[in-house]
Formats: sequence, structure tokens, C-alpha cells
Amino acid sequence: MEPAIFAEAISKSFKTGFFGPRKQVLQEVNLEVAPGAIFGILGPNGAGKTTFISILATLLRPDAGQARVLGLDAVKDAGRLRERVNLAASGAHFLWCLTVEENLKFYGRLYGLGGQALATKVGELLDLFDLQPQRRVTFERLSTGLKQRLALAKALINTPELLFLDEPTTGLDPEMARHIREEILRLNRETGLTILLTTHNLREAEMLCGEVAFLKEGRLLARGTMPQLQERLGLGDRLSLFFRDGVPDLDFARLPGVLTYNLQEQRVDLRVDRAEERLAAILEAVSRSASRVVQVRLREVDLAEIYHEITH
Amino acid sequence: MRLPTDFYKIWAFAARSFLVNRRNVFAIFEMLFWPGVAIFSVGLLTRFLQLDPETVTFILIGAVSMNTIQIAQLDLSYALLYSVWAKSLKHEFMAPVGLTHILLGAGLVGLIRGFAVFVLMGFLCMWLFDMDLGPPGTWGLIIFLAGMFMNAGIIGALVLALVLRFGQRAEVAAWAFSYLMLLLCGLYYPVSILPPGVRELAQIIPLTYFLEYFRHFYGFPAPSPHPLLYGFSQSVVYLCLCYALVQYTLRAAKQRGTLLRLSE
Repeated sequence: MEPAIFAEAISKSFKTGFFGPRKQVLQEVNLEVAPGAIFGILGPNGAGKTTFISILATLLRPDAGQARVLGLDAVKDAGRLRERVNLAASGAHFLWCLTVEENLKFYGRLYGLGGQALATKVGELLDLFDLQPQRRVTFERLSTGLKQRLALAKALINTPELLFLDEPTTGLDPEMARHIREEILRLNRETGLTILLTTHNLREAEMLCGEVAFLKEGRLLARGTMPQLQERLGLGDRLSLFFRDGVPDLDFARLPGVLTYNLQEQRVDLRVDRAEERLAAILEAVSRSASRVVQVRLREVDLAEIYHEITH
Repeated sequence: MRLPTDFYKIWAFAARSFLVNRRNVFAIFEMLFWPGVAIFSVGLLTRFLQLDPETVTFILIGAVSMNTIQIAQLDLSYALLYSVWAKSLKHEFMAPVGLTHILLGAGLVGLIRGFAVFVLMGFLCMWLFDMDLGPPGTWGLIIFLAGMFMNAGIIGALVLALVLRFGQRAEVAAWAFSYLMLLLCGLYYPVSILPPGVRELAQIIPLTYFLEYFRHFYGFPAPSPHPLLYGFSQSVVYLCLCYALVQYTLRAAKQRGTLLRLSE
């Protein structure tokens, strides 16, 4: 089966200032995404995520390399490709003085919808994203969460086969972010929509993506499923347990979710997959030993650490 | 073009412009206040100078043209400026729309608003300053209006190209371009009084010929032998060049990342 996305040696640089040097943003990035997958591109700010997604979405032309999306060349067949894909990005921006419904109708028309077909589609999306109560509210008066829901609704106006989501939950409160993630999962499950999403939230990638790739300074460093990467790179939250009478003689590797561990004199440093969920079980197992835990330190895994792991 | 798909795409931009204009009190202001100020100030000046009716018409038609073109071109210029202000430019260009859809959609609203301003100002001139719009006849008026709208299209397309290249900074160009063009084309005076060098510049502005054509109905002989031929052929050439320029700047914007920067 032909991949939904096939990117080969994509490079892109931008000029910095009028006489300034060129800054390399992407360096020979290769990527293949299967149809129906949710694929995550992880990376810190400035890694090149948005640039990469924009090339695939036909908003940018690569300097070198080839990008085929849904079997079409992202440069030569950009017009035809745009009919079959769509994009939602963080910090939703639409025309401030148009209502939710008018904004959706505007974008629907841009995709060639009109008449009853447009009215039906807009109605469906308003229902799907629970935007019916705000249908006549202008964009500028919506909350951040509602704006983001409108952005997702807009991204589905043409019933795309492939959806680009550029940090879709950035800036949202945790509850709204969870809601949006559930929506994304549901869409993928129910419609088989292929999704390429960028994020710098590891938890988000874990929840949504079957496979992820790490992008740093324009290079794709590693790719795989989250469990594969966790295993390969020892990714996990950092949990430190401090004991009053020295570290007990326990097989820490067998504790729930523990990926790796490191013994010190008075403490043990554990790498734990989703430590927050497993903390109670770990403490219960440890409490059965003779030594008492006097302090617990938990630090969530961050991308900087992962990059360090990957690059060293 | 595939109808009705293309019709909906064109209508998208027209409907958006219409809605923004309807909700924006300043858009109404633009249509009524500035044209009104222009007509009153110029009209009262002609009265103070006790000019003969033909010269009054000569000058007032300049004021009418200036405001008609200004309003008509603004909608075209705003087609992308709205998206730049809303930071939604990438979503518009993410959709399968071409420049033709944008230009025709926004241009349609510009044409309607421009026509409304022309009618309003025409009535004001006839009512308050005894300007006579009879001599050119219906066809004369239609041809003159067509010429003005083509000039508005040229300015609007130029501004679109500047917006795609420089973003919001090009906003000022939306106004500046038309004023510069109007200054050179003999808005309130015959181009023959322009200094040498500048006079030649006036010859490459199509509006010069449309003004000459319209004014000849009032007894002011057109210096050019075929003003309509020059006016329309120049307009068509400039419109084609501007279209190509906007296409080029759009391609360059995709190369430079301008579309993304303007959406942040």
C-alpha cells in the first residue's frame, strides 16, 4: 500500500535578514507514514516541526528533496492535494468579526461547497464539536478552547483524507486539551483519517500516536512506537526514593513500570514509565522492606533529556 | 474553472468582504464620510473661485473618480489584508483556491461599493453644484466607470503583491498607490500643466485617458487621438502584468515562508 506521506531528503533553509546568511531549518528529512495512522513529530521550539508540516501541507516549497502526500507531489500537484488535506494549528486564528458559523461557511466555500451540502456539513461540524450554542458568536468573543475547537472543525470542513495538526493543544487548559485529544482519537478510529501531528508534549504523543519521530535542529533523530523508543532510550519519568536506613535489597527492576534504576548510598533513582500512575504501587512494594522511605522526588521526563539521550 | 465549485470559491471572498463591510462601521464611514468631504470641499472651492460650469464639472469629476477608485480598490487590497490582520492567511492558501477566486470575489464587492460611491457622489454633485452628467450619456458613463474599475483593479492587485511580499507594512500602500496615480493622471487639472518628465509618466497611466475621454463631453478636447484605445489597452496590459506579479509573489512567499510568518 502506498504510504500516506512519503518525504525523501527534505531540506529547507531561510534567509535571516536582507543580507544575512541562510539558516538551515530542515536537513534531509525522510519520513514515511502509513494510511490511517496517527504519527507524531516531537521536538522543541525551533526544531523545524512547523516548517516540515508546512511543506507537506503545500504552504512552503522545499529547497531540496521530494514530498509525496496521498500519492501526489506536494509541489507539482499542490492544487489537487489541497482538496484532500487540511490543517489545524495551535493558536487558532480566524477572521475576528465573523461568527463561528460564518467562518465555517467561508472555509467550506473555499473548498467548493455550497448550498445544502455546505449547510449540512457546517451543521454536522457544529454538532460534532459542540459549537451549536456559539454558532452566532463572533470569533473574537470565543474562549481559547472554543477557538481551538473551531480550528479543528474548520480542518474537517472538506472531509480530508489527511489532517495536519500543528501543536493542536498548545495553550489550552488540561481539561480542554484532554477533550481535543479524545476528539482526535475518535476521528481517527471512526473515519480512518490519517493524522500527522507535531507536539512538544510527550504525554500527548504517547496518548495519540502509534508512532513518533524526534526532530531536532532540522534532523530526524529517531523514530518508532513509544514503547520501542522508551525501551531503546530508557525514556521515563525520574523517580528518586530516599531511604532513612540505606537502600534496601530489592529487585527494583521488577517494580511496576520501572525501565532502569541507579543505586546511590541513601537513595535509588528510577526511570519509570508514567510514574504518577505507578507511584502508589511502587511505594507499596517498597514499604514492605525494612528501610523506610523518607522522601520522594518525582520529575516528569522532558524532551531535553530525551534529546540528550538520543544525541549522546 | 469548474462551475459551480469555482463560483462558491469566488463567492466565499465576496461574502466575507460583504460581511466585514456590513459589520464594520468604518467601512460605511469610508463610503460616506471621505467622499462627502471631498465633494463638499472641492465643490465649495469651485464656488468660491466662481468657475464656469464646465470647469466645475472638470474638477468635480476628478473628485468623483478619486473616491470611486479609492473605495473600489480597497476591497481588493483588503482581500488579503483581512487575512493578514486575522493571521489566517495560511488557512486561506491551504484551501484549493487560486488568485482568480480572490481577485474576482473581493473585486465584486469593490465594484459594488465603488458603484455606490459613484452614484452617491454623482447625485451630490448634481444636486449641490449643478454638475450635469447628461452629456456623456449612459454609454459614456458605463465606459468611464469600466475604466475606473480597471484602474482600481490594477492598484488593488499591486497592493496584493506588496502584502504578500511585505505583510502588514504594505497596508499604507493601499492608500498611497491610488493617491500617487491620481496625482499624476491629472485629477483636478489637465496633464499638460504637469512639468516635463512627469507629463510623460501621466501617459503611461490609463486613468489619464479615461479622464480625458470623459471630459471631452464637456468641451475639453482630449490631447490623445484615441483615449479609449490607449486607456483600455494599457489597462489590460497592466492587469495581466499585475496578475503575473501577484502569482510570482505568491510563489516567492511559499519559498520564503512569508505565508507562515504572516499567520503567526
